[in-house]
Amino acid sequence: MKKYLPYLLIPALAGLVAVLWQWHPGDPLRLAGKPRGGDFTLQSARGPVSLHDLRGRVALIYFGYTSCPDICPTNLAQIGAALKRLTPQERRNVAVLFVSVDPERDTPQKLARYTAFFDPAMIGLTGTPAQVAEVAHRYGASYRKVKSDSALGYLVDHSAFTYVVDGRGRLCETLPHAAPIDQILGAIRRCH
Amino acid sequence: MFPTRSLILTLAATLTCTQALADAAGDVQVTTPYARQVPPGAVASAAFMELNNRGHEDHALVAAASPAAEVVELHEHVMKDGMMQMRPVPRIGIPAGATTRLQPGGYHVMLIHLRQDLASGQTVPLTLTFEDGSKKAVEAPVRRIGAMTKKMH
Repeated sequence: MKKYLPYLLIPALAGLVAVLWQWHPGDPLRLAGKPRGGDFTLQSARGPVSLHDLRGRVALIYFGYTSCPDICPTNLAQIGAALKRLTPQERRNVAVLFVSVDPERDTPQKLARYTAFFDPAMIGLTGTPAQVAEVAHRYGASYRKVKSDSALGYLVDHSAFTYVVDGRGRLCETLPHAAPIDQILGAIRRCH
Repeated sequence: MFPTRSLILTLAATLTCTQALADAAGDVQVTTPYARQVPPGAVASAAFMELNNRGHEDHALVAAASPAAEVVELHEHVMKDGMMQMRPVPRIGIPAGATTRLQPGGYHVMLIHLRQDLASGQTVPLTLTFEDGSKKAVEAPVRRIGAMTKKMH
């Protein structure tokens, strides 16, 4: 075993170097390399929700915030409209998660009222700023708080992708901002 | 005496009318205004419209007011660094002979701290103020933005 150790260590070290080379921790301007996705647990108005609770179902995950008057409603309305086109059986196998990138202002209750407007089964999620940042980073979602003179207080810049996770919890596809309904339906059916 | 006086009055009236026609409120035609229906309890909504400048001078929208919201601002969205950035803007230009569109993903009139939930069927009164100081009243029906089958941009 001992004499094989260098042969195992060298590729492992090379791998580590490659990973570190691409890793830019805490750089908000950069979209994460290739998002890994993966399991997480965040808070809804009805208690904690984990991605693994949804195994067997396709999950659409959108990162946004409730003070967002245009970009988030556009995407959530598109997703809501796509859900209405699914057969009842397909619909049962799809979950939609709206993760707040403004955890300081968005409470689980506020998120629940917001998401219900677009679809009664949509789940609003939040957590501590660190929890949300960790999940967003893994999915490749970027956001940052921006000071502004607006009466809204600070603003939140955010990427506007929808992440489609398959029934086994693997990140399957990424949809762009304002994806047409047919594109959303296609992704749901491909990732099932 | 009298003919001269009436001539002056006519001239004055004509000049006033010409001036009134040349201001932004006279030049800019507002079409398809609407306010976006947002979830109950939402802090903010946005109003959209098309501003068509039929005059020969450039104009700009510099402010808006509405009894529906405590604060009204002009905002724009820009996609930068892979993120949607919403920013207040001091003015929205409406060049002579051109149409400036306030539309989802771009310029909008931002209604902040809504005084009540906006429901479909309601109308939001807006007063637009242009750079030359002229004002225009607009009624924006509340619309639920539904599905778009085509890409917006």
